[in-house]
Amino acid sequence: MFETIVQAVINGLLIGGIYALVSIGVTLIFGVVKIVNFAQGEFVMIGMYISFYLATQFGIDPLVSLVVSMPVLFVVGVLIQHFLIRRVLGPNDMPQIFLTFALSLLLLNLSLMLFTANYRTVHTWYSDEAFHLGGLYIPYAKLIAFVVAMALSGALWVFLHTTDLGKAMRAASQNRDVASLMGINPNRVFAVAFGLALALAGAAGSLLMPFQSAYPFVGQVFVLMAFVAVVLGTLGNVIGALVASLMMGVAESLGIQFVGADSGLLVVFLMFLLTLVFKPNGLGGGKAR
Amino acid sequence: MKNLNMRTTLGLAIGTAVLIALPLVVKSSFAIDIFIRILLFAFIGVAWNLMGGYAKQLSLGHAAYFGLGAYTSTILQVNHGISPWIGMVAGGGVAMLASLPIGWLCFRLRGPYFTIATIAAAQALMLIFLKFRDLAWGAEGTTIPNLGNAPLMMQFEAKAGYYYVALGLLALGLAITYRIEKSWMGYYLVAIGEDEDAAEAVGVNAPRIKRDVYLISAFLTALAGTLYTQYIYFIDPATAFNFNISIEAALVSIVGGIGTLWGPVIGTILLETTSALLQSWLGGTIGGIQLTVYSLILMAVILWRPTGLMGYFSEIYARRRVKPAKA
Amino acid sequence: MADALVIQNLNKRFGGLRAVQDVSFTVRENETLALIGPNGAGKTTAFNLIMGFHRPDEGSVKAFGKEIVGLRPHDVCAHGLARTFQVAKPFGAMTVLDNVMTGAFLHHRSPDAARKKAREVIEFVGLSARETTAAKDLTTIDQRRLEMARALATEPKLLLLDEVMAGLNPSEVDQAVTLIDRLSNSGLTIVIVEHLMRAIMAVAKHIVVLDHGQKIAEGNPKEVMANPEVIRAYLGSYAHAPAGASS
Repeated sequence: MFETIVQAVINGLLIGGIYALVSIGVTLIFGVVKIVNFAQGEFVMIGMYISFYLATQFGIDPLVSLVVSMPVLFVVGVLIQHFLIRRVLGPNDMPQIFLTFALSLLLLNLSLMLFTANYRTVHTWYSDEAFHLGGLYIPYAKLIAFVVAMALSGALWVFLHTTDLGKAMRAASQNRDVASLMGINPNRVFAVAFGLALALAGAAGSLLMPFQSAYPFVGQVFVLMAFVAVVLGTLGNVIGALVASLMMGVAESLGIQFVGADSGLLVVFLMFLLTLVFKPNGLGGGKAR
Repeated sequence: MKNLNMRTTLGLAIGTAVLIALPLVVKSSFAIDIFIRILLFAFIGVAWNLMGGYAKQLSLGHAAYFGLGAYTSTILQVNHGISPWIGMVAGGGVAMLASLPIGWLCFRLRGPYFTIATIAAAQALMLIFLKFRDLAWGAEGTTIPNLGNAPLMMQFEAKAGYYYVALGLLALGLAITYRIEKSWMGYYLVAIGEDEDAAEAVGVNAPRIKRDVYLISAFLTALAGTLYTQYIYFIDPATAFNFNISIEAALVSIVGGIGTLWGPVIGTILLETTSALLQSWLGGTIGGIQLTVYSLILMAVILWRPTGLMGYFSEIYARRRVKPAKA
Repeated sequence: MADALVIQNLNKRFGGLRAVQDVSFTVRENETLALIGPNGAGKTTAFNLIMGFHRPDEGSVKAFGKEIVGLRPHDVCAHGLARTFQVAKPFGAMTVLDNVMTGAFLHHRSPDAARKKAREVIEFVGLSARETTAAKDLTTIDQRRLEMARALATEPKLLLLDEVMAGLNPSEVDQAVTLIDRLSNSGLTIVIVEHLMRAIMAVAKHIVVLDHGQKIAEGNPKEVMANPEVIRAYLGSYAHAPAGASS
């Protein structure tokens, strides 16, 4: 029994690392640009397809294709911020919500047309390998994904705390005016924030590829998870999003273990509801301004 | 003023006559099917627009009430033999009851997080109907016994029957919206949508108004759920709580003109016609094409015409009115 | 004269900041009281506490003999208190008339009656020519007028004006002063937060001075201006020295 719990916790932590990459992206965009990116999950999906095609066409390992998916998505993020998001920034929620929502719909349905709904998998030499620690079972692919995810989160944290641009981003997420006082062009800050967030989503996609099938709807699971984690961890807070994501992963995994294989999402929604009931003021960003 | 009212009344009378005569003239089952979809989704859009359009509470979870309406009437009919006409109203009641706790939770959030909370609520309801098989047939769903032509059980041999029910619902939704729009409540809703603090400062009880309009919106959406299920003779959680219903409810209003009486109707006509044309051009269905086009239309509207088609029309109308005055 | 508003030991903290500390003062019916002080003195917070936008940590606010702490803003409004916002908050997409009607609906549920009431106050503040303009297209002073009209449409007994003159040019200030005088003459009790000393001297006989959340002086304009505490508070804040502002 004890071992089962430990195993479930480990599984949860490992997948929680991926959730963290997605939620940190969401929280970064929310903090800096002040919008919620409904399409974040679709960028995870795109990251997966990039890795899938690099693996099947050129035999590149998904973990290596990280160096392609991240920069590609960074550029995509900068372009989206520059050509789309920038035009709807302002006090009005409606266009912001529905623009990123439309983007999510568009990417999802375009991929349905381009890639069909079929599941795509990449098999690597480590896909089926695992550590055995006593009775515990730790798959290589998930462990690598977790470690890389934590390293990327750490790198982002260092970036936000040591570079001028990073500090400007943190300032912008506290107070918009401070950033412009620092003499930094807010449009550049926004574009980089959006780019970084998408690069993280792309990384999540590549890291998932060795043990998770790609299909057009795959991002939706991750984005829902991320929204809940971001609210739990207080909006705009990177560390909060990280910790909350790991917690969500564990909660989901325990739910699957003890309630039933189809109950993971139900547990997540339950957590969301409980957050709303008990921590409504922790949702400071609920005001969204 | 009088003159304008006369013209409006005349227009409405002619429009109604045409809509009533339509199924008598058009016999194509494909066409009638499209008309029914337009009426039904326009009605759902009208229900959404009351809350999402006027008060700007941007829900993407109205499938929750559509599904509850559909399931209530179906359970009453299949398990207890009760007519869906009664089940329809009962479903509306169930939806209203459900909207109270869901609203209590979701209205704690503003902006995008309100929207996310509504999505989560609808998804959670779908999961409940999937998981708890004792509640209602689980994931397999059930078919509705075909009774042939039984108007009292909301079943019609000719599609025209469903057409008239949908038309009646849309008329009801528009009448309710019109009444609200012209009353103090309409002003209060728009005020809440514009600035909730300022609204409170002039005596608007924002939480109560939002709760009340959510009740009405949920009730109406549930009615559509019953009709839809009767029309397709089948129910399962994936159809009844389909996220696409939540999307379309919001989409038709935004494209047509958010917070306007006719916006959802115009938006639905545009979107559903486009979708029907796509289907006939491409023959059969290519997965994803419909929503790809919808999302492009939505993006175009948001970027270039945030007030929707209604806003565009009224601009043109205003320009035409101003010109002669200058001359 | 009876007391319109009695504020006792009002306290509010935001995190470590004591925004309002032990503030007490009384507004008598039909007087115009000015609440002044340097930026960040707690004036707007005091308004928010009175109107129910924030809940005080301690203290009592009695309006016309009734405790209103704990009521939500719309309830406070129903008790005869109305306010304007420092940064005008018009319902931008609505016309001027519709904005003001929204206020009038508090006491007149029928649209015709509300429209009649709204036109009355719109005329009073001098916005009749702008009735069908969308609120977001108004000039600054007209937005201020609109704020006032919308508040007046709720038929308040006590009106709280939060910096209605900020950003107005001298002749517009004169118009605003005249307007406030007329309101006062019509029997309304007014509490005004204002930086502009010239305007304060013109409208208020009774002044309360806040600094760092505390009341440091109270009295008629002459007494207050002679008070060394007040002079020090204003010299400490470079922006709004009374002497400079009155020039």
